[in-house]
Amino acid sequence: MSAPLTARRATRVGAALAAVGATAVAAGLFGAPAGASSHREAPLIAGDPAVDNTDLYAFVSPDHPDTVTLIANVSPFQEPNGGPDFFPFATDARYDLNVDNDGDAKADLTYRFTFKTEDRRGKATFLYSSGPVTSLDDENLLFRQTYSLDVLDGRGNARNLVRGAKVAPSNTGPKSMPDYTRLRDQAITAIPGGAKAYVGQADDPFFADLRVFDLLYGGDLSEVGQDTLKGYNVNTIALQVPRKWVALKGDEKRNPVIGVWADTERRSLERSPGKHEARGEWVQVSRLGNPLVNEVVVPAGLKDRFNALTPDQDGKVEELVARVTDPEVPRLVESIYKIPAPKGKRDDLAEIFLTGITTKAGGPVKADLNSQLDNQDVDRRKFTPSEQLRLNTAVAPAGEPNRLGVLVQDNQGFPNGRRLGDDVLDIGLQALEGAAVNGVVQALAAGDKVDANENAFGTTFPYVALPNNTAVNAGATAVAIEPTAGASGLPTTTLLGGSLAVLLIGAGAWVLRHRAGAQASPTE
Amino acid sequence: MSKLLAVAALAAGAALLVSLPSAPDTPRTPAPVGVAAETSLHRSISAAQARLRRTPADFTTWAALGSAYVEQARVTGDPAYYAKAQGALETSLRHGPDNGWALIGLGALANARHDFATARDLAQRAVTALPDTASARGVLADATTQLGAAAEATEAVQRMLDLEPGVPSFTRAAYDLEQHGRVDAAREALERALEASVAPSDVVFCRYHLGELAFDNGDPEEAARQYDAGLSADPRDVTLLQGKAKVAAAAGRWDDALAGYHDLVDRVPLPQYRHEYANLLRASGRGAEAAEQFSLLDKQFALIAAAGGQDDLTASAVAADRGDAAAALTLASAEWSRRHHPLVADALAWALHLHGRDAEALDLAEVAASSGWRNAVFAFHRGTVLAALGRRAEAATALDTALAINPHFSFTDAGAARATLAGLR
Repeated sequence: MSAPLTARRATRVGAALAAVGATAVAAGLFGAPAGASSHREAPLIAGDPAVDNTDLYAFVSPDHPDTVTLIANVSPFQEPNGGPDFFPFATDARYDLNVDNDGDAKADLTYRFTFKTEDRRGKATFLYSSGPVTSLDDENLLFRQTYSLDVLDGRGNARNLVRGAKVAPSNTGPKSMPDYTRLRDQAITAIPGGAKAYVGQADDPFFADLRVFDLLYGGDLSEVGQDTLKGYNVNTIALQVPRKWVALKGDEKRNPVIGVWADTERRSLERSPGKHEARGEWVQVSRLGNPLVNEVVVPAGLKDRFNALTPDQDGKVEELVARVTDPEVPRLVESIYKIPAPKGKRDDLAEIFLTGITTKAGGPVKADLNSQLDNQDVDRRKFTPSEQLRLNTAVAPAGEPNRLGVLVQDNQGFPNGRRLGDDVLDIGLQALEGAAVNGVVQALAAGDKVDANENAFGTTFPYVALPNNTAVNAGATAVAIEPTAGASGLPTTTLLGGSLAVLLIGAGAWVLRHRAGAQASPTE
Repeated sequence: MSKLLAVAALAAGAALLVSLPSAPDTPRTPAPVGVAAETSLHRSISAAQARLRRTPADFTTWAALGSAYVEQARVTGDPAYYAKAQGALETSLRHGPDNGWALIGLGALANARHDFATARDLAQRAVTALPDTASARGVLADATTQLGAAAEATEAVQRMLDLEPGVPSFTRAAYDLEQHGRVDAAREALERALEASVAPSDVVFCRYHLGELAFDNGDPEEAARQYDAGLSADPRDVTLLQGKAKVAAAAGRWDDALAGYHDLVDRVPLPQYRHEYANLLRASGRGAEAAEQFSLLDKQFALIAAAGGQDDLTASAVAADRGDAAAALTLASAEWSRRHHPLVADALAWALHLHGRDAEALDLAEVAASSGWRNAVFAFHRGTVLAALGRRAEAATALDTALAINPHFSFTDAGAARATLAGLR
């Protein structure tokens, strides 16, 4: 794992440990302090999986290309064991999906989800349900949650979109939830004006062999090809809104690029005499834009700080910017595999992570793909580099999405937003190796050898796969394994007139430029 | 020499890896939640071990494993995990000199072993290495609290709250507030911790301490409600069963209380429980059985010492209750030389009183009282000392206060307080 248990927000790699650690602390079977007594030992490394952002997705909806779908996942490594474990959303927290459409690194829109619990269990049971649950209103469902969705503008003015919407429950197994599809369908909530939301459990759509990161800790890449996330569930917050809702000035034609990040906040407590407040300031405890940033960009000692930063502060943290422009992974790859790390300051990575790919910020990747600077009505003086997942909503959905996204000229994929089937680990590794300017590194072309999620994604909202309902370690998977995106791997032969490698993101740029007439690419 | 040490470290690491219980199978059927929590900790430990087999130099995972062992010791009550924790955390430090994660784990371990001065040093180094990490402040808060550095502790708790509001910081805030006599604020903090709790083990922790806060402030009915609510999360949790046994005694159901404690001392090697059981037996007129429990306590303290633990505070209270005033004073003085927590001041005051040194005892009793903590035991000890000094009116006031805070503050001493009061009037 790339972050220890004690890090505030576990990274994907660390979460496997942190999540189970969280349920293990405090009183367990015996629930008593060890050996000695007389001072109170409170939980220390409890973690807080309920508010732990794990992944963010943003893509133009393939079946409704006039809309954009945003998906934030929290609370990773939920093991479906049919037992007493279930995974509610926190009721004293805010779950935010933020949109920055003018590039100033501040949210112009915040879609805020807040939760309430209705606990019908009484004293009789600690179980989730008392019999088969066949609908969200089934009296057998003893623990229920609802949510409110508000949208805030850049000045913090809130407008309610939905109240009392139902959360789909944790899937506690085929006996207690014989038809989860029905429950999920009931949990899709229409929002006036052509939007919809789904909040509830889902199969974790992230697929990767996280052991790839062993190389950061002295291991090697010899053992890959196993989807470390297979079989686990997450809590999903999915929102589909018309593109014009999120576009600068409501004009998605002139201003198609948005930046997106998810965050969660909990309220502090002020204990000072005279100003004691049981509910003090809100504190951002988790934040997520681009995938794998916590694993490959943010240094271990900065992870907790990064999770507390708002994007407009990113550029002021020198150590953070330094890690983008001088990343560790390529050096480690060089030391182990003798694959030379790209030389010099990595402005290509700054462009991918901090500004979006554009010709207007002086970066080396010569294309206009997904920076807010490419919105026609943007005030360029206010543009502030920051870590966000940036999406050009004008790029139409691909007929046959390719898991390698922009690397193979499928410009609707990561790092132009992120679709569920995008192989962000393989893309990210190549990008770190300088693929954006120097081309693909063949020796690493196989990546982690996990090319697709184990469960097929849906073709309609909310697209995520149904939550697993068999134990991860039971050795039996009830669901057939199908690839979810184009099965093509990285091209291994020469391309582009004999160059040794695809120009990866450079290739994407080439496509953009050469299709400028046909493409609704902004401000070419 | 250094090579030898490295070999020894590797061997120790390997021993750690093989000597652990393997993870039990995931339960397929609804099981008591405590069992699930137990297997989760095993899973966490096995996951760290699996990773260390692939990346044996990964100091963060060594630190994680060590911290998991500290939790395991806390959860199971088995001090043998301290040695495993130390091995893993020292291995982490060898691979990552001065890394903050290992310092946090070692600090937590030092706190668990009641070596609070070392814990504070480690926590301060951890805070330097990881200034934005809440758990480093948590270790610092725990250490400074126990050392009696109240202002420093409060500051660490507030910083922890502002870095990461959540169960660990809310529960520490509650304890900090309680020790300053702010009972309502402490309850609110625990309620916030409860609201933020997802893991059943966290629910149990919060319910138990909500119950304790109610019981210690004279509301055994509310305490019982909290303990019962916790037991629906984990019916076997011993802390909650201890609470229930206390409530039974407070309600005059002595047989239930005795049966509850009998079960507790069977299940958990915790001196506090055996001490309370011994006092309960004494209060029930079963002196011979009480004496047997006191002699078992001696053996328990020896075992703790052998495992590197140290609890002179509890040992002093035990000695005082079994009539060994000399040992009570020796132990309390030793603890006072290490730390100035109000509980230690109170224990030393009582030990001095048992020697008839009531003027000195009063000074210490005032130190304990000056914290502001609404603590019936402090008030009882102070009142008794005042009575011995012939300051009858003040003594009566203090004893009244003790009984007003919690008329059931002790199986044996609540009655003594009433008797002394009667004599004063």
